[in-house]
Amino acid sequence: MEHSSDHAPHAHDHDEIAIAGHAGYYEIMETAVRELLVDRGLFGADEIRHQIEVLDSRTPALGAAVVARAWLDPAFRSRLLANGRAACEELGVTFYDDTQLIVLENTATVHNLIVCTLCSCYPRPLLGLPPDWYKLKPYRARAVIEPRAVLAEFGTVIADDVEIRVSDSTAMVRYLVLPRRPDGTDSYSEQQLAALVTRDSMIGVIPVLLKNGVQAP
Amino acid sequence: MSSVLVSRLPNDIGGDPAGRVEQVDHVLEPWEKRCHALADVLDFHKIINTEEKRRGVEALGSEMIGKLSYYERWIVAFANILFQKGILTPAQLAFKMAEVEKRWTCASPP
Repeated sequence: MEHSSDHAPHAHDHDEIAIAGHAGYYEIMETAVRELLVDRGLFGADEIRHQIEVLDSRTPALGAAVVARAWLDPAFRSRLLANGRAACEELGVTFYDDTQLIVLENTATVHNLIVCTLCSCYPRPLLGLPPDWYKLKPYRARAVIEPRAVLAEFGTVIADDVEIRVSDSTAMVRYLVLPRRPDGTDSYSEQQLAALVTRDSMIGVIPVLLKNGVQAP
Repeated sequence: MSSVLVSRLPNDIGGDPAGRVEQVDHVLEPWEKRCHALADVLDFHKIINTEEKRRGVEALGSEMIGKLSYYERWIVAFANILFQKGILTPAQLAFKMAEVEKRWTCASPP
């Protein structure tokens, strides 16, 4: 991106697309670390590019497909609860890291919530990257000590006779909530069911709702 | 009550009093996404694994943890861990950062 003088007559002031005008200290550090390691031959520049594609390919739609299948196929549901990772891999969801997955089933008597108190561990192969609130202090600090109050801040009220279980993720063990299937969805196709399942319902901060916003009893 | 500093390291906040959960999020900056990809690739190659990264962030201490953003903490932790492992030296990183900054300054609009 040389700025030679023959560019000058082209006088409109559109933003340059190629490189941001003011790279910050940490952005420079990221690029420097990456280039030094590539220069050493520790990995290829193409690996970073490829991993960005992998990250971009992961969205909550993958988790939603797993949930919808579990609602419709009891044998799959059993395998999912027995070994989350292996069951997801059956559906073609690859785990690009060496984490294990434990799937936690919500029932009439148990509501599950996931958190990472120490940092930001999250079932990224299935849901993509976590939202900022999941990584910030209020959720991490409070989910384990006052989950009902935290849930209420998401508009979720869990009956007092329903047990709330909070599972704290680690570097190696990640959790996914299998939400309850809403009533009134008997005629739904797998795709229609999957469309109801949101990221937040698989974290456990909300139930799965019908499209009209009516909460499943 | 300095014993709390010993028994509860900066990341160990489960159960601490804290404010309301604000449902904030942001689309990652391109460099933040590259930083995340770098973390994954460092893990794949067993250069820095997830737990080393977490401890590396914790080792920054509570002031830096409080003042740096999420991916700022990661890249600084990576640099420190790479120094500790003898893979990079601070001087190499400083020279490379100066080179990158010069390259980008020359390439950017005035």
